[in-house]
Amino acid sequence: MTRYTASEIIERIETLTEPRLETYLRLRIVQPVMSERGSYYREIDIARLRLVCDLEEDYALEGDALVMVLSLVDQLHGLRGDMEGLLAALAEQPGEVREAVGRHLRARTGR
Amino acid sequence: MDDPYKALGVAKTASQDEIKKAYRRIAKTDHPDLNSDPAATERFKAASSAYDLLKDPEQRARFDRGEIDAGGREKPNPRFYRDYAARGDNPYRNTQHGDFGEFSDIFSDLFGAGAEARGRSRGGASRGAQAQGFGAGPGFDDLNLRGPDHRFELEIGFMTAAKGGTTRITLPSGDSLEVKIPEGARDGQTIRLRGKGGPGYGQGGPGDALLTLHVADDPDWTREGDDIRRILPITLDQAILGGKVEAQTIGGPVAVSVPKGAQTGQRLRLKGRGIKGGDHYAELRVVMPPTIDDELARFMEEWRKTNSYEPDRRRPT
Repeated sequence: MTRYTASEIIERIETLTEPRLETYLRLRIVQPVMSERGSYYREIDIARLRLVCDLEEDYALEGDALVMVLSLVDQLHGLRGDMEGLLAALAEQPGEVREAVGRHLRARTGR
Repeated sequence: MDDPYKALGVAKTASQDEIKKAYRRIAKTDHPDLNSDPAATERFKAASSAYDLLKDPEQRARFDRGEIDAGGREKPNPRFYRDYAARGDNPYRNTQHGDFGEFSDIFSDLFGAGAEARGRSRGGASRGAQAQGFGAGPGFDDLNLRGPDHRFELEIGFMTAAKGGTTRITLPSGDSLEVKIPEGARDGQTIRLRGKGGPGYGQGGPGDALLTLHVADDPDWTREGDDIRRILPITLDQAILGGKVEAQTIGGPVAVSVPKGAQTGQRLRLKGRGIKGGDHYAELRVVMPPTIDDELARFMEEWRKTNSYEPDRRRPT
């Protein structure tokens, strides 16, 4: 796993500045891994910071609004991942089980 | 992407400012984290690559002159947050403020424990929401709420995890503190630091800091539960003749008896020398001498005449 220091991620993300990163840390939007040799950032932190910077640049989101939107994005992505897992598990089930689940879903959603 | 201007929908004569505006417009509508339409993702990717190329006037000029192609200077596409975020090990999952409808609750539903878990979650969510100021209604002044728990990830070295110890960390609040790591700490284990989370409201005390431990890989040591495995290199003569060899364990060096005719891959068990009474396994590795002298070579030539053997057990001799 590649590790990045704060200055390395500021270098890598065009729209990220030191004060901005400090703000995001204070808002607990991003959280580097602490270690015996200081903190470091991972690929996921870079991807997350890119999204955060885009949200701030493009939608003028900041502070609590930014935190709220990210919280929703996290929940959505989390649910998406779990839904994929559930669908994969369902795909392994016998045909009658899948049909029964399909019937239930149609009955509940009317689709 | 063949034509970066086309990807951004601008003319070749567009100003740098127009290029930036065009990219921002596409980013706003087609960002993969905001728009799940695959076509939008493709547009965004193309626009990102195009913008990467054209945002630098010098690089743009080189492209215009045909010195570099559209993909030639382009870095590999950055991975989007969504590529990481859906994974179960996403550290940002459920760590943010009030969460409603965690999927773990849905799994609980599936296994018949849903009602209880949902009740807990609802309590947590309302607490989180109010703590963020959404619940400022009548009676808010009288509200006493415990502060939120803050989650952190802490990486520790192999030895610290195996033997226990302390490590000093600095929280984002600026608090610097010693964290006690218990002996035999496992990857993924959580340590609770009472009162080191977010501040409480009213008479409510502060929340806790929850540290998720990550045990760093170590090239020399492998851990299987409380058992330890470590390669023990031995010489050719030790492998043939056997003898006493010193093995490194987490508690220090221990003398082990290598049997006559020892093999690479053979494991010697040192009972109780692992973590908290677990075992240490010394995995033998026969290391050839750095140089083969004439005497050894001559001996082997003679020896081979009467002692040939098939080293590949899968093949019949």
